[in-house]
Amino acid sequence: MPYPPKLEQIIDLFEHLPDEEKRETLITYADQAKNQEPKEGDTFDLEDVRKDEECTDTVGIFLRVDPDKSAHFKVSLGPQVQTLTRAMTAILCKGLDGMKVGEILEVPADFVPKIVGAELIRARSQTVYYILTRMKSTAKVYMNRERENALS
Amino acid sequence: MSDKYSAYAHPEALVTTEWVAAHLKDPSIRIVESNEDVLLYDTGHVPGAVHIDWRSDLQDNTVRDYISPEAFAEVCSKNGIGPDTTVVFYGDKSNWWSCYALWAFRLYGHKNVKIMDGGRDLWVKEGREVTREKPKYAKVNYPVPAKRYDKEIRAFYEETIKHSNENKPLIDVRSPGEFSGEITHMPEYPQEGVLRGGHVPHSKSVPWKRAANDDATFKSADDLRAIYEKEIGLKKGDDIIAYCRIGERSSHTWFVLTYLLGYDKVRNYDGSWTEWGNKVRAPIEKGS
Repeated sequence: MPYPPKLEQIIDLFEHLPDEEKRETLITYADQAKNQEPKEGDTFDLEDVRKDEECTDTVGIFLRVDPDKSAHFKVSLGPQVQTLTRAMTAILCKGLDGMKVGEILEVPADFVPKIVGAELIRARSQTVYYILTRMKSTAKVYMNRERENALS
Repeated sequence: MSDKYSAYAHPEALVTTEWVAAHLKDPSIRIVESNEDVLLYDTGHVPGAVHIDWRSDLQDNTVRDYISPEAFAEVCSKNGIGPDTTVVFYGDKSNWWSCYALWAFRLYGHKNVKIMDGGRDLWVKEGREVTREKPKYAKVNYPVPAKRYDKEIRAFYEETIKHSNENKPLIDVRSPGEFSGEITHMPEYPQEGVLRGGHVPHSKSVPWKRAANDDATFKSADDLRAIYEKEIGLKKGDDIIAYCRIGERSSHTWFVLTYLLGYDKVRNYDGSWTEWGNKVRAPIEKGS
């Protein structure tokens, strides 16, 4: 599956940046992660807030699905979540915004090294894949629930 | 000097955040941030602090070893560190990584080293100044170290198995789950990189975190003695090896035993569990 257009734009930006600017851009995205947190009064179709072993702090995934099945994510991050994971959160919330919920499951993860760069993909940086995995898992639960509702 | 610090064997190895704040412009001092979070320094750091990354700056990943003495001299030189500069390390995770960087500096014989007690977390919690401005220091001549102190402060597999066979003090500083073999990595991290779970035979479990308070400062000398001397029976003159998964958490324990409690012969087995747990025919024990 090709990357969704918004994510493709972000990947393209990173691929053309020298390493130092790549780091600075990641920091800018990490700073923006707080803008992706759910606000008071927001309503969602599915909320999944938990702390599990793949991440150093609690991460909440909040999914809202429009009548046309377009998906919109908000993500809450605990204070100990690493900077790279914060950056990937902002990138994914923007890059996947508006995709059909079923398409979320098909997004390939091989874009992560293109954004993060080989230098930053190291043993401890595997958690950069974590947010995408959680988003896909939330989308899958939503779809299964919808399927069950349709059958009942 | 506070009562807490004066009770340590080498109180000069620790400084407070207040002391660092008062020495930000001292030319004889270089402040070094070293973290697990590879981008944390870029998000803001102690003014004037340079960043030394334990992987990209201090390790030669082509041979799983530390960089050559020539490369170490270059790392120091480009960061404005001379052979007499006092290097004050601090970082995230209760100073795990800064202790690791300090240990690496000691490998090359750099003498004037200190840890900022409480690390990055305490500095930020106290509302002290942070900046994103990266300092530029003029290059300094750092003579290539004549030797590396592997023999004195570093242990290899062969020395560690000999230690195990002779039932000498061997401290496993990983989490209880890693020690028992239930998991092969820290509880909050992906379970990766090693084939077998368990511990080196005859090693004793003292998770590194027990030496740190909740605010990331080191525990008092009395509290540390209660753990390492009363609980597991370390004695002056002991020949001690500490290990974890890759040698970073055990650097914290190495610092505690060497500088805070004053043991003369403490070595860090940096091959640690990623080597031992994968090594053909290396014996292991399971359970607590």
